[in-house]
Amino acid sequence: MNWGIIAENLGLYVQGAKLTLLLAFASLAISFCLAVPLAFLRNSRIAALRYAVLGYTLVFRGTPLLVQLFLIYFGLAQFELVRESVIWPWLSSPLVCVLIAFVLNSTAYSTEIFAGGLRHIPIGEIEAARAFGMSAFAQARRILIPAMLTRSLPLYGNEMIMMLHATSLASTVTLLETTGVARMITLNYYIQFEPYVTAAAIYLAMTFVLVSAFQLVQWRWAGYLENRIG
Amino acid sequence: MKTSLKSLCAAMILAATFGAARAADKIDIATDATFPPFESIDSNGKLIGYDVELMEAVCAAAKLDCNIFNAAWDGMIPGLIDGKYDALISQLTVTEKRRQVIAFSDIYDHPIFRFVAKKGSSFEFTPEGLKGKTIAVQTGTPMDAYVTSHIPGAVIKRYDTGSAPYLELTAGRADLHMSYQAQIIHSFLKSEAGKDYELVGPEYTGKDAKEFGEGVAIAINKKNTKLVEEVNKGLAIIRENGQLKALNAKYFGE
Repeated sequence: MNWGIIAENLGLYVQGAKLTLLLAFASLAISFCLAVPLAFLRNSRIAALRYAVLGYTLVFRGTPLLVQLFLIYFGLAQFELVRESVIWPWLSSPLVCVLIAFVLNSTAYSTEIFAGGLRHIPIGEIEAARAFGMSAFAQARRILIPAMLTRSLPLYGNEMIMMLHATSLASTVTLLETTGVARMITLNYYIQFEPYVTAAAIYLAMTFVLVSAFQLVQWRWAGYLENRIG
Repeated sequence: MKTSLKSLCAAMILAATFGAARAADKIDIATDATFPPFESIDSNGKLIGYDVELMEAVCAAAKLDCNIFNAAWDGMIPGLIDGKYDALISQLTVTEKRRQVIAFSDIYDHPIFRFVAKKGSSFEFTPEGLKGKTIAVQTGTPMDAYVTSHIPGAVIKRYDTGSAPYLELTAGRADLHMSYQAQIIHSFLKSEAGKDYELVGPEYTGKDAKEFGEGVAIAINKKNTKLVEEVNKGLAIIRENGQLKALNAKYFGE
């Protein structure tokens, strides 16, 4: 065992963990804001809108995230048109490419989770809202969105954990997040167990905090659903 | 139903155990096949290249039963230390740092290292001149070690494979890439994608910086001194009978 090497490179791990958190939270925050309206469109009465969103979620849930990331990072760069366009300064940055891939992917999964939650709201809650004379917007804001989110919580919690772990793919396009740091140490010091165990411990700690926070959220906002069981 | 499910599970586990076991007495030799003309995979999925042919010749000369296969670069040296592989041939340069953990055969080649950049671009090849320039390298290679310690002011981008830096160079994400001269010429400059690029800067060898090592050799597990001897014997034979010379001529026209 060679833990001295890990101790020497602890600073790198701190940098890596910061980047992991930045990637996970930025992509989750953006994809959450996109997924809520998309969930409504996914259940829209207009078939064209419904199928457009379905097409998008099908493509991004039907292909591996790594493939999506490579297509965006390496694939787009192959086209002269893209390289000479005004968006190239953005697309040439690995951080931007990674965020685009993560957001597109996570939005697809979150949209389906929320859309499922929306479909499972008891009709009585919606009828009650209508009986109160709420406008469509007030219904969405005060009844549908809260009910949809609370019902989606357990599934969405899983999606958050999956996204946190998926950030390890960023290391394939030169970003030195937690996994990237572990791989770099492996390549420079020829040890594998210690760097990856350290990386695993970091992910585990982050997941633990995330799960605990989630339980708190669930207890606070979705508590009223609990009573129905048993 | 329950028993059939059980036996299905048992059958799966058995199949997995036997399927995963490697041929026991063969010598397992790993190579990172992303590095033409030294090691790569052709369109039929077959390993080809200078190192692969050299290793086959060494094995034949030393009467060793070898099994050469492709493996990921980042697990190669740890895999050799742990005994997962018996030997590695992948243009591995002999350095002091590597000698501490693995054994090497006799050196079979002295590579030249170069920078490659877009035609017409000009650089001053000093630590100050390259300050702020983006240099792409494969992680954990002599080039990575050199750039990291001698050009600290540069932005260094590191990749898992030997081929990814070329994608970055053509995409304009990197100003320079450093690699083995022969690899740059054969895998990039001769291709359609590399027609606007050229070798730039001085030729670097092991004499210029210790990071470039003493030369390239076959890496062998430190405990396996018998295999080191046998491989060296094989190398001596193909050097003697002209096979190595023919191989150099075939690949590099030397």
